[in-house]
Amino acid sequence: MKTIAKAKINALLDEIAKKSNVLAPVAGDGASKFAPYTQGAPVSLDGRTLLPPKDIFFPQTEKMYKFTNNSLEGSLESSFEATKPQVLFGIRTCDAKSIHCLDHVFLTKGFVDEFYQTKRDNTLIVSIGCNGPAEPTCFCKSMDVNPQEADNVDVHLYDLGSEYGAVAKSEAGEAFLANYAALFGDADVKIPEVAGFPLNPNLEGVTEKLQKMFDHPLWEEVSRKCLGCGACTYLCPTCHCFDVSARVAGDQGFRFRCWDSCMFSEYTRMAGGHNPRPSKKERVRNRFLHKLQYFPERYGELLCTGCGRCVSKCPVNMDITNIIKQVREVEL
Amino acid sequence: MTQVVRAETAVSPLVPVVCKIVKIVLETPDVKTFHVSTPDGQKPFTPMPGQLGMLSILNVGEGMFSITTQGPNHLEFSIKKTGVLTDALHEAEVGQTVTVRGPYGNGFPIDFCKGKDVLFIGGGIGLAPVRSLITYAIQNRSDFGKLQVIYGSRSPADLVFKEDLFENWTSVPEMALDLTVDRGDDEWKGNVGFVPAFIEQLAPSPEGDKVCVLCGPPIMIKFCLQSLAKLGFKNENIITTLEMRMKCGVGKCGRCNIGSCFVCLDGPVFTLAQMQNMPPEY
Repeated sequence: MKTIAKAKINALLDEIAKKSNVLAPVAGDGASKFAPYTQGAPVSLDGRTLLPPKDIFFPQTEKMYKFTNNSLEGSLESSFEATKPQVLFGIRTCDAKSIHCLDHVFLTKGFVDEFYQTKRDNTLIVSIGCNGPAEPTCFCKSMDVNPQEADNVDVHLYDLGSEYGAVAKSEAGEAFLANYAALFGDADVKIPEVAGFPLNPNLEGVTEKLQKMFDHPLWEEVSRKCLGCGACTYLCPTCHCFDVSARVAGDQGFRFRCWDSCMFSEYTRMAGGHNPRPSKKERVRNRFLHKLQYFPERYGELLCTGCGRCVSKCPVNMDITNIIKQVREVEL
Repeated sequence: MTQVVRAETAVSPLVPVVCKIVKIVLETPDVKTFHVSTPDGQKPFTPMPGQLGMLSILNVGEGMFSITTQGPNHLEFSIKKTGVLTDALHEAEVGQTVTVRGPYGNGFPIDFCKGKDVLFIGGGIGLAPVRSLITYAIQNRSDFGKLQVIYGSRSPADLVFKEDLFENWTSVPEMALDLTVDRGDDEWKGNVGFVPAFIEQLAPSPEGDKVCVLCGPPIMIKFCLQSLAKLGFKNENIITTLEMRMKCGVGKCGRCNIGSCFVCLDGPVFTLAQMQNMPPEY
């Protein structure tokens, strides 16, 4: 296997940065996230970032088109721009899985979202495996995610202690490793055993059981403490709901989309005032059913990768692993 | 279900086509029908009956509406004044620039209805989506069996599409037209009463695999479904449309889900049989 010493990662990133934009995990402003890498900048490749990488493909706000509207006359101009080739370096396998989920949403079922597609097509992804929970709230192993390996990426790095073992997962990944071959060595390596995860929700039969639990009193009970702040949806690597809105100044304006949250009451409120999900019971229920039942029904996969961000940051300790446990314990 | 036809001019499913309002018809005190064409006088796209279009005034906002019918060069949207965008539309004049994207959704199952008798039921502005299929059935009259329209509104002034109700639809071969209003006035000679009671009074027979297509306010739908069940209509043959808030129209923005269905893609048209397998969250 190709290997590279962890001490050489900055040298590798410097080399890549000469040719294209690099997005790497940096700690800053109190929240670690993927940000443009500049030469010599410190990157933190241990653990996962607080903010997921979804904004690389699906920015928090994104202009779709500019318009002018002067009395009766109006026109518009698309703001679509093809993304320049870039490298997303160092996402964890939970986040790699989340990109797989976002691909289902934005690229399938008859409509391709060009704004998302151009970023996907022009981003080479390098992932890093975990040999155990990167954070105390990690539970990817229970959610059909292999902590040590990702497949829907271009290059995957195994964590071998003082070095990484590198494997190409696509043609672009092979070219990438060939490009930077000078920084890599060759070695027989042994991939370490995966350590145990303290959080182990058991998903067996949960989707099927939830299909019978829409009217169950559990939702009233678990939603009581929710503040409706939406932090879970903003930190979630798979949450992809968005709003479409406009900014207008005089006769000029632009229409943009921005992240939205199913935790907000406005989200489903219609003109005229009717709201099919009027209270937090319906909203919390929809969020968990979307993750664990609706998305699996529609796309054949869970919409939770076990990254644990919502578990660690919810201000009232709403814990999806605990909800899964309660669902399993309910007697119908 | 019907094949979805996409606007070929659109760069992205979220970027609309610029159009103009070319005609405005005042239907009732709070409903207007807007005829919309591209600036060069073309139809922005060709929807199937029951499909949706996202209509916008650029500096106000976008909203999803049923496309109530179409001509060779225009689309028609019948819109009730009920919020920020619809208020702005009601104040608009002919020549106003609007944008349109679509068509979205599945539309009515035309092949399923072909060869069968069809009963159309509408309440208030709910006749707007049904009108797309009534118009289609009239234009393709020999493809369908007997037709019947039962329509009701709050008052005679609130009846929409009066030109259709009192002229165009009165001479269609083998098409019955039964109107009712909640409250009559001095000139109203027709039936007075709510739509569900009127259905039971008229007692249309479900025989011959008759299909019923109904749209209206939720409370009317609820009681109409009870009336139709009493008359013996099969759940598979009762077809209606559902409404949820929408932003993208292409199954991505998330908010119009009912269970794992997205109303913008899998609806807005559903049979009662399908709805009974969905959570009642609409």
